[in-house]
Amino acid sequence: MAGQTDLNSGSVSGNSSRDDVRTHFTTREGVYKLITLAEYSRANRLSGYTAIQSQQGAALGQGSNPPVRVTFVSLPSDPSGYCDRICFNYGRELYFYTYKGTKKPADLSKPVDKRIYKGTSPTCHDINKLTISSESVMLLVGFTGGQIQLVDPIRKEIGKLYNEERIIEKTKVTCIKWLPGSPNLFLVSHVSGQMYLYSEDVTCGGPAPPTYQLFKQGAGFSVWTCKAKSTRNPIYRWVIGNGAINDFAFSPCSKYLAVVSQDGCLRVLNYDAMELIGLATSFFGGLLCVCWSPDGQLVVAGGEDDLVTVWSFQQKRIVARGQGHRSWITVVAFDPFTTLYSSQSSSSKSLSKEGVDTSVTSNGTGGIDGEVETKSSSDIATCYRLGSIAMDTQLCLWELTDDVLKQPYGSRSRASMVSGPGSPPSSLKFTGQTPISGDRSSSSSSNNVVTITPVNNLTVSPAPSSATATPVNAAGSLTQRLANMTFSDRKSGQQQEAAATDLKSHRKNFSLGSGRNSTSDRSANPSLVTGCADPLRLIGTQACPRLDEIPMLEPLVCKKVSHERLTALIFREDCLITACQDGIVCTWARPIGPSPHHTSTSTPTNEGTMV
Amino acid sequence: MGANASQLEKEIGSEQFPTNEHYFGLVNFGNTCYSNSVLQALYFCKPFREKVLEYKMKNKRSKETLLTCLADLFHNITTQKKKVGTIAPKKFIARLKKEKEEFDNYMQQDAHEFLNFLINHISEIITAERHQTNNSATPTTNGKVQNSKDPCNGSASLKFDGSNGSMTSTGNHESTWVHEIFQGILTSETRCLNCETVSNKEEDFFDLQVDVDQNTSITHCLRTFSSTETLCTDNKFKCDVCSSYQEAQKCMRVKKLPLILALHLKRFKYVEQYNRHIKVSHRVVFPLELRLFNTSEECPDRLYDLVAVVVHCGSGPNRGHYISIVKSHDFWLLFDDDIVDKIDPSALEDFYGLTSDVQKASETGYILFYQSRDTS
Repeated sequence: MAGQTDLNSGSVSGNSSRDDVRTHFTTREGVYKLITLAEYSRANRLSGYTAIQSQQGAALGQGSNPPVRVTFVSLPSDPSGYCDRICFNYGRELYFYTYKGTKKPADLSKPVDKRIYKGTSPTCHDINKLTISSESVMLLVGFTGGQIQLVDPIRKEIGKLYNEERIIEKTKVTCIKWLPGSPNLFLVSHVSGQMYLYSEDVTCGGPAPPTYQLFKQGAGFSVWTCKAKSTRNPIYRWVIGNGAINDFAFSPCSKYLAVVSQDGCLRVLNYDAMELIGLATSFFGGLLCVCWSPDGQLVVAGGEDDLVTVWSFQQKRIVARGQGHRSWITVVAFDPFTTLYSSQSSSSKSLSKEGVDTSVTSNGTGGIDGEVETKSSSDIATCYRLGSIAMDTQLCLWELTDDVLKQPYGSRSRASMVSGPGSPPSSLKFTGQTPISGDRSSSSSSNNVVTITPVNNLTVSPAPSSATATPVNAAGSLTQRLANMTFSDRKSGQQQEAAATDLKSHRKNFSLGSGRNSTSDRSANPSLVTGCADPLRLIGTQACPRLDEIPMLEPLVCKKVSHERLTALIFREDCLITACQDGIVCTWARPIGPSPHHTSTSTPTNEGTMV
Repeated sequence: MGANASQLEKEIGSEQFPTNEHYFGLVNFGNTCYSNSVLQALYFCKPFREKVLEYKMKNKRSKETLLTCLADLFHNITTQKKKVGTIAPKKFIARLKKEKEEFDNYMQQDAHEFLNFLINHISEIITAERHQTNNSATPTTNGKVQNSKDPCNGSASLKFDGSNGSMTSTGNHESTWVHEIFQGILTSETRCLNCETVSNKEEDFFDLQVDVDQNTSITHCLRTFSSTETLCTDNKFKCDVCSSYQEAQKCMRVKKLPLILALHLKRFKYVEQYNRHIKVSHRVVFPLELRLFNTSEECPDRLYDLVAVVVHCGSGPNRGHYISIVKSHDFWLLFDDDIVDKIDPSALEDFYGLTSDVQKASETGYILFYQSRDTS
């Protein structure tokens, strides 16, 4: 069980020897190697005491330790030269070590900070990137009992507590994040399906539970403020979906929030406007994890259907699913360092905060048939690298290529992508019977048409972009399909912005756009209109396509990398980090030599990522 | 016992307590937990409970069968004045021991074998009684139900398929409400590697038997169930076209999904080395919501909700204990013979199994009952 140590998992019977735990794996760019000396874990975990204790833990049924999560932070400077710090939780403990990278051994005897909690266990943590200094970091920790603590592991100060008496919330904290760009605001999600915005410097009120007042309501969610004479925590309470909120993630541009829940829904919200702009569901079961692509174009979720679900921000629909894991997916993360970008100026450095940077220059024309131009940005990815880990102890790497992601919905062609190195970028080669393949490849030169994203462009409000729903196969001609992609003109954009505060007309904005024919309505996403998240009603729509209506991806790499189920995955420039349920944090060095994105901007080859 | 019962009532709360719902533990008569756990799981499979109660209402005949005993037991639970308590399924157990001598002892039995026997036996009783009714123009005083054979029609020849222990019903059986609830159809597609001829064979099932792998999901186990198998060496396929045994590829898919999908995790494996069955405690996660990947093209999709789990506790097939976890209305209950507890759905995690391969006692999901959503 979870309480098990390395000693136990070392004595695996012959049963699982047929798929031994890997210490290296190979991708196109080379060999990733496990760096055994850079293994981080609880201090002195190999002592006999520890082993006995954790066996007892398992025997007592305390096997359901919270998953081990990892947070990295880089200090501005450090006398020793090691600026990186690693923070992870294990059982009731929280560790904060100096991370010495792939070259130097981990020193487990001297954690910077170590905390052991009584009666409650840490579940997740986050460090404020804005307020970091060499002498102080603001580390937020969420707990199984719903409490929140703000600690400074460098100053070793006993920090502030939030929801200490569990008056605001009693259920487990599932995810905690500082608001991007804020020195004091943070967001906390819980098993109860509620998410709270706290301010670090504001009181949590007295012993009386907060009284809430409805502030804003949308399809499947509501936002409440705290009724009080003076500002108190929580600032806002979000109630989202049915059942636990399992994970949430801010878009690279900080404007959007993707939330995944036990009800199987992925909800993409405009955080500040408090509007739902997209909804998709798992194939079945809860969604457990979510992440954004570095360019903000894709949202990927994983969950209890063992599938990776890829949702396109621009098309507002599920564009692909990925099958490769043998159990529930616990973390999905993009690798920004091996994701390929269309422009030569792309480098890993340019990814950081900017996110989606494309703008639409042809507002007001309605932009159809090639009249839409894009101001070419350096941030549009052409081949995404995605990583996922699961309870199956396997790490999967996926490649999401342009041509897969831009397949029309419901093409029913489980296309096998056979484009060789010589084929033009993003041209689609359908082996299936789709009637529009000719149109498609002829339009490959004007491929940018479909890569426009109105994210940062204020004149295109998010609501109408949900109306730029995607073509269905029934909508025969290319023009017809492009007509469906019309961006709203400036006027309606302004109208909608103005109306955004008005709840009534705001709901109207969720309608899926007029002038769409009935066939496209069938597959459109009814959930945004009705707020209905009933999976039965969503099956066969763009919110939950049938398996033959979208591409099913296969992983590039699928390797067993642990004895225990995996709980954390982080991509760093020179390595990737995995952690597992028994509290071992592993470092995998990337292949030595230049990574592909430094040398090549050519078309990604399709290494059988399609079924 | 009484304290426990009232505590459960308190825990649920009088306002939350569903109307017309009763949570009654079942007394253990010496290793009868295999029966208790399965009966509780079946009781909370709503379509099954309703049909059994309906049978009780319709059937006024006095002759005792296992089905009348079951109907009496279910009826007894539903008509209790109290909302919680304990009932002794004395009559049912006594009848069970009469019906099948394998169960006529105080040894621990396999809950799945019991379920298999019960489902098939009930369906036999119904079919037999239907024939009696049809023949009632010429009044007969037929004796034992399970011996009644219809000479004109092969009758319901439901059999226990010994090869893999699956509950299969073969022959030209008649459809009963048991079939309407539990029966699905498997289609096995076999392609002869010599002549490339593809042959299809259909097979009814009352549950699916899945092999368990370490650190997997039930979804994965079901996919392995449908993975392509190559028939070779000792296990060649008799090809009608080639008129000989040939190597072939076989793939099993679900052609018709049942209303209630019962999944039996094959946790008891015979190990030659030890000359006995050992328990496989692998951690297999099962979601509250399920859809199947391994259906054939023509099979209509169904979305399932987990409604009950029979859990085996202990280290081996012949020792240990069975309990069941059921979903009733919006909460989860744990039935441990006469004890009933409300549990948090997150506690289901405790019954996925162990990630360590070290042999020790474990509490693991053994039979899962998923109910199709469109029926609830």
